[in-house]
Amino acid sequence: MTTTFATPRLLRSEYDLTLLWTILALLALGVVMVYSASIASAEADRHIGYRSTYFFMRQLIYVGVALLAGLVAFQVRVETWQKWAPYLFGAGLLGLALVLIPGVGKEVNGSRRWLSLVVFNLQPSEFMKCFVVLYAADYTVRKAAFMHSFKKGFVPMFIVMFLVGALLLREPDFGALAVMTAIAAAILFLGGLNWRLFVVLMAVLAVGFVLLVVLSPYRFNRLIWFWNPWADPFGKGYQLTHALIAFGRGGWFGVGLGASVEKQLYLPEAHTDFLMAVIAEELGFVGVIITIALFVFLVWRAFAIGNRAASMERYFAALTAQGVGVWMAVQTVVNMGVNMGMLPTKGLTLPLLSYGGSGIVANVVALAVLLRIDYESRQMMRGRAP
Amino acid sequence: MNVGVNSARLNLRLDGWRSRLLLIALVSCFAGLVGRAAWLQGFHSGFLQQKGEERYSRVIDMPASRGIIRDRNGQPLAISTPSESIWASREDVTLSPEQNRSLADLLHMDPRELAQRLNSGRGNFVYLKRQVAPEVAQQIMGLKITGLFQQHGFHRAYPKGEETAHLVGFTDADDHGQEGVELAYQKELGGSAGARRVIKDRAGHIIEDVESIRVPRPGQDIALSVDGRIQHLAYRELRNAVTVNRAKAGAVVILDTRTGEVLALANYPDYDPNNREHLSGAQLRNRAITDTFEPGSTLKPFTIATALEAGKVTPNTVIPTNGGQFTIGPSTIRDTHPFASLTVSQVIQHSSNVGAARIALSLPSETLWNMFTDVGFGQTPKLGFPGEAGGRVRPFRSWKPIEQATMSYGNGISVSLIQLARAYTIFANGGQLRPLSLTRVSTPPAGRQVISALTAREVTDMLELVVKPEGTAPAAQVKGYRVAGKTGTAHKVVGGRYANRYVASFVGFAPASAPRVLIAIMIDEPSGSSYYGGLVAAPAFSALMGNVLQMLAVPPDDPNSSLFDAPNVGTGSAEDT
Repeated sequence: MTTTFATPRLLRSEYDLTLLWTILALLALGVVMVYSASIASAEADRHIGYRSTYFFMRQLIYVGVALLAGLVAFQVRVETWQKWAPYLFGAGLLGLALVLIPGVGKEVNGSRRWLSLVVFNLQPSEFMKCFVVLYAADYTVRKAAFMHSFKKGFVPMFIVMFLVGALLLREPDFGALAVMTAIAAAILFLGGLNWRLFVVLMAVLAVGFVLLVVLSPYRFNRLIWFWNPWADPFGKGYQLTHALIAFGRGGWFGVGLGASVEKQLYLPEAHTDFLMAVIAEELGFVGVIITIALFVFLVWRAFAIGNRAASMERYFAALTAQGVGVWMAVQTVVNMGVNMGMLPTKGLTLPLLSYGGSGIVANVVALAVLLRIDYESRQMMRGRAP
Repeated sequence: MNVGVNSARLNLRLDGWRSRLLLIALVSCFAGLVGRAAWLQGFHSGFLQQKGEERYSRVIDMPASRGIIRDRNGQPLAISTPSESIWASREDVTLSPEQNRSLADLLHMDPRELAQRLNSGRGNFVYLKRQVAPEVAQQIMGLKITGLFQQHGFHRAYPKGEETAHLVGFTDADDHGQEGVELAYQKELGGSAGARRVIKDRAGHIIEDVESIRVPRPGQDIALSVDGRIQHLAYRELRNAVTVNRAKAGAVVILDTRTGEVLALANYPDYDPNNREHLSGAQLRNRAITDTFEPGSTLKPFTIATALEAGKVTPNTVIPTNGGQFTIGPSTIRDTHPFASLTVSQVIQHSSNVGAARIALSLPSETLWNMFTDVGFGQTPKLGFPGEAGGRVRPFRSWKPIEQATMSYGNGISVSLIQLARAYTIFANGGQLRPLSLTRVSTPPAGRQVISALTAREVTDMLELVVKPEGTAPAAQVKGYRVAGKTGTAHKVVGGRYANRYVASFVGFAPASAPRVLIAIMIDEPSGSSYYGGLVAAPAFSALMGNVLQMLAVPPDDPNSSLFDAPNVGTGSAEDT
């Protein structure tokens, strides 16, 4: 190892340890909060035998499996990921199709999102988010020459994503579709797709929105009911009003770990989609700020790692890194926005924190790829082969 | 290097501004979230917290402990102990066969009945058992059966059981008085439930205690006038008298003549207030207070007192009794033991119907009616007891001569035992009638002068003759004390006609020189060797009075007396119809 006086700080370590600790901190916070949020509902659930630690133990196992999967994923060279990207994407599509086949897919709460694999249920859409990142990055690199072209740059990707969207809407899983669309669009944007195209897209969306308001106020109201959940606090506003009450009860410093009232069967999905509300109630504004700060740091690192890779002309790596960052950011923002009543309720989990095996494993694998990209960049800066 | 990387080298340029713009956009979103969180948690939290309160804060009742009922010496007659109710949420309970068995065991229930309770019936909530001892409840909760809950409350216990059953009464499962003192003093004993604000989870369990709204006010203790020891004696003696005489029922009332306090009140048949399964109406009846009967000869002293007050007779005025027969219109009044004539005192001593009738007919009906009404007949005694009977005294204007005549010896009029007992206090108490009291009295309430002290003394003297060997109730004598009293044996009216069933009674007080204690005893339908008051009720009176006087350490006023055997006991001396 060259230990000269001028060695840049980042090169002192072979890995991005700060990022690694950030990820571990989020996972740990998730395990603690999932336990806290799920005790009451677990104790009241006959199907799981009223075991208060049911979700906690499972979440621990999920995190363990995810860390092992991450360790394996880290060993895989970025080059290999790129080679596999189309096949992984294909496999993901197959998974999304399989869940729709009666008898193969498992239905929970009216959504067919799961494949029952004897010991556990697999949710292909969670892994598909990861594959979309890899596929879009590979696509962009392959189509680099046509990024200015609407027909050759945008349309093929649009068709592929339309297919994904069609499958996801059959489940239905709007949340996953929104995240994947955002990831694909962001990677195309980063890859140099004609920016005028995005301006036009934005304009179309804006016009559509205005038209909806003017032409069909009823539908518009149905879309934005969440602006005033207090109009129907015991009907469709039930879950959201309870989430908001949790935030209010938390105040600046929270009611204390374990002391949430909302999790006592009032707030549905407290340990999954609405975990943030429980964090807000028990740990207060301070806890919310810390959680957001950890995510912002994670996203910032993803972009920084991507930028360094770009500067080393490792474009697939760069786009993948930033794609992972976009994924984490968008899913976190949507989940928290839903929890805070800024967005309509969609089934989206909080990355790394919410209860759920597929989500955690997919998140950790994606972040392992991010760490791998950074690892390879550091190796190259030391003049070694990645 | 693969093709992709090669082409990227040639054509791809990742513009720095794009990633910077995207990162700024994403971080702005996070900033928006921080702003929203600050608004929700810092500036809008009051509204949200209030909404939360509305959803899960509840006001719950805190049961107030019920007052203790004590006797005059402080001995508890009714106490409240903590108890648990076991209830289940049907949806949540699934029992293994062993669980079902051990639960049924602890609840003292048939396992099949338990399973049926849990599996059928409407609604989710079901009480499995109320008023379970805390130790048992603890064992039940120790079975760790989900969906099984306990609820705190109080259980009422009656240490003296049957002895005080009718007097003290009992409460229902909700701790409200249903009978006796428990009902009469519900307001004082009951107290008022408190309230607390708590936070409940959605399943209804209390998860946080917020504040006390109202402290539960425990009920007041009540000190009764009753003396537990005397009550015990009264109950024992009554039970004995009813059993020995093979009677249907009986009742006894003991009063303190100076204060109007009830020292004992017992009925038989009885029940165990601590275990009220399989109760019959006959067991429940507080006969001394709720049942009326035709008193028979025990009413004669009031007829005589009226005549003495009116100045029509003196104790020594001779009344012609015509050989024990007196015909009024189609009816004839007869005496069991005929005499040609009797003095007024002897009319009482021998309980002559003819004598009483003749004296009554010498009086205006209104005067007699006034006496009956003045001593409380025909009006409820207002002890506050449930179902107090007022008895019946018909308006004097409708009295026919024969009715006035028979009423003089207690036919055609009905009274309750406690009314009769109270009325007799005028003789024991210098002519004054005091209100009765079930609770301890420190200063006796003012009485009302009904007859003169002289008349009272004169009647008392006559009543003393009753227990003399020549009287109708020598069996009522008490060694060492002078006793004044009167027997009664009345036909019962069944279906509007007099039947061959009797109510035997004795009312008396002692010591006759300075009366302290009054005992009225009534035996319903004796079917043993005799049905006369002097033979059925008087012996019980004697035994009871002797014990009570000793217990109260009342100095004997006739220390040298010995019990004389009445020559005519057993033949049913001069008895009445």
